[in-house]
Amino acid sequence: MKVLRALITKEVRALFVSPIAYAVAAVFLLLNGYSFVMTLALSKQATLVHIFFQSAMLLILVVPLVTMRQFAEERRGGTLELLLSSPAPEIDIVLAKFAAAMTLLVTMVGLTVIYALVLGYFGKPDWGPVYSGYAGLILLASALVSIGLAVSALTANQIVAAVVSLGIFGLLWAIDSLAALLPSPIDNWFLGLSLLARFTPFAVGAMYTSDFGFFISVTLLGLFLTVRALARR
Amino acid sequence: MAVVSVENLSKRYGARLAVDGVSLEVGQHEVMGLLGPNGSGKTTILRILTGYLRPTAGAVSVAGFDVVRQGRSARQRIGYVPEDAPLYPQMRVDEFLEFMGRLRGLDGSKLQAALAIARERLGLVDVRDAIIGRLSRGYRQRVSLAQAVLHGPDLLVLDEPTNGLDPRQIIEFRDLVRGLAKQCTIIITSHILGEIARVADRVAILLGGRLLAVRDLSHTRSICFRTRADVADRVEAVLQTAAARLAVAREPDSEGMYRWRVQAIDEPAANRLTGELAAAGMVVVEATANSADLEETFLELTTQEARR
Repeated sequence: MKVLRALITKEVRALFVSPIAYAVAAVFLLLNGYSFVMTLALSKQATLVHIFFQSAMLLILVVPLVTMRQFAEERRGGTLELLLSSPAPEIDIVLAKFAAAMTLLVTMVGLTVIYALVLGYFGKPDWGPVYSGYAGLILLASALVSIGLAVSALTANQIVAAVVSLGIFGLLWAIDSLAALLPSPIDNWFLGLSLLARFTPFAVGAMYTSDFGFFISVTLLGLFLTVRALARR
Repeated sequence: MAVVSVENLSKRYGARLAVDGVSLEVGQHEVMGLLGPNGSGKTTILRILTGYLRPTAGAVSVAGFDVVRQGRSARQRIGYVPEDAPLYPQMRVDEFLEFMGRLRGLDGSKLQAALAIARERLGLVDVRDAIIGRLSRGYRQRVSLAQAVLHGPDLLVLDEPTNGLDPRQIIEFRDLVRGLAKQCTIIITSHILGEIARVADRVAILLGGRLLAVRDLSHTRSICFRTRADVADRVEAVLQTAAARLAVAREPDSEGMYRWRVQAIDEPAANRLTGELAAAGMVVVEATANSADLEETFLELTTQEARR
């Protein structure tokens, strides 16, 4: 546990020392703030559904920027050799990077809670979809981070890691549209894999165990693949 | 008991065999040099020893722990300075050393004591708060060595540690390594024969992933010096008392000068001998430790191998 704590501290510091973290957070909050103000001014409705969908799309765009450097930079700089030749278990190294990326993303998403507070102060929002929307965003972020880490563990090139992650996220987000072209029951498999189809219930206030299970399974699979990628040497 | 035991080690990268059936043992407090041209398998062997790479075949143990099956225990007993001394450039020296110490299970007062010793021994006291990325190459090498010795390892592994250092830094680094050899076993690689000859007790010569030979360097080390020919008898007399059990060769050099070569002698003993000659009133015009025999052995073995 002490080793994991040391690794997490180092990863969180490394992430928050990097200008990428601040640039990503600033753009995320700026675009969400703009949308919140415009939608509220035009619709006059106390809801955050549109913010949740926009945040989900923004996560797909910014998570590759956060995860691309995690292993790719360590590999390129040679420090991965230091980590993997230390007594630290591979799983701890992976979990520390996951925890650091999630710290940044949860902070970013957490700062948008101010929109909910504004709605609560001036209006009467339905709090159920607000809670479920945030739960959905956190689960989506964890699934995306774990996939991004697995990709980063396979390459020494940050740009390659970011582009491949973005491609996978984009495909998984919209894979449900492919289902319309496929016969039953194959169409259901693709529907089940779609991040959009899994996220939508959370954004509108419906939480299903199967959707929770999906995001947690993808997260665990991503982390497992990352550990395997590190062990393959 | 051998601190490092390598049995029939092989490593394959796809179709290429990088290490081919290497067997080797390194004893306690021994400095073993791995010598070979680029691509001879030196770094791959070190990476397997330190757990960074997995062997394709064979068995490797460090301090009695198998590096694959008991990897964590083995890695706990190893300090490693990889090639080019990779570090986190954005970290401060103390922050980095603390982090590496914690990875090896050090904590609290134990960690602070280990940090103080490492800082002192490696001359890092003045740069403890410096950002690593702004340090000179020599200091970065010291930081890398400090993280490797922090936990008092049984085995210290140094991969091309003098690469990119200037002559003064190389001499300083060599002295540091000699000092550390009193506390642990050291494996050091280089493709520079002179470097290995100066610090290693034995050397393993590698080519194309194969171990060609292991040589005891106490038999290949020598000191050469030149004196005036007219004091040859007196030099002989001093050598008979000071270096009686060592092989001494004498040959005429330039006009009025003799060239002497005393085999199997280390640098402190060479310095003592030079001092004794000077005290006896003889002028040693030039004294250099050389590794001519190692060069000859290396060339002979690699040429033979290339002809096969």
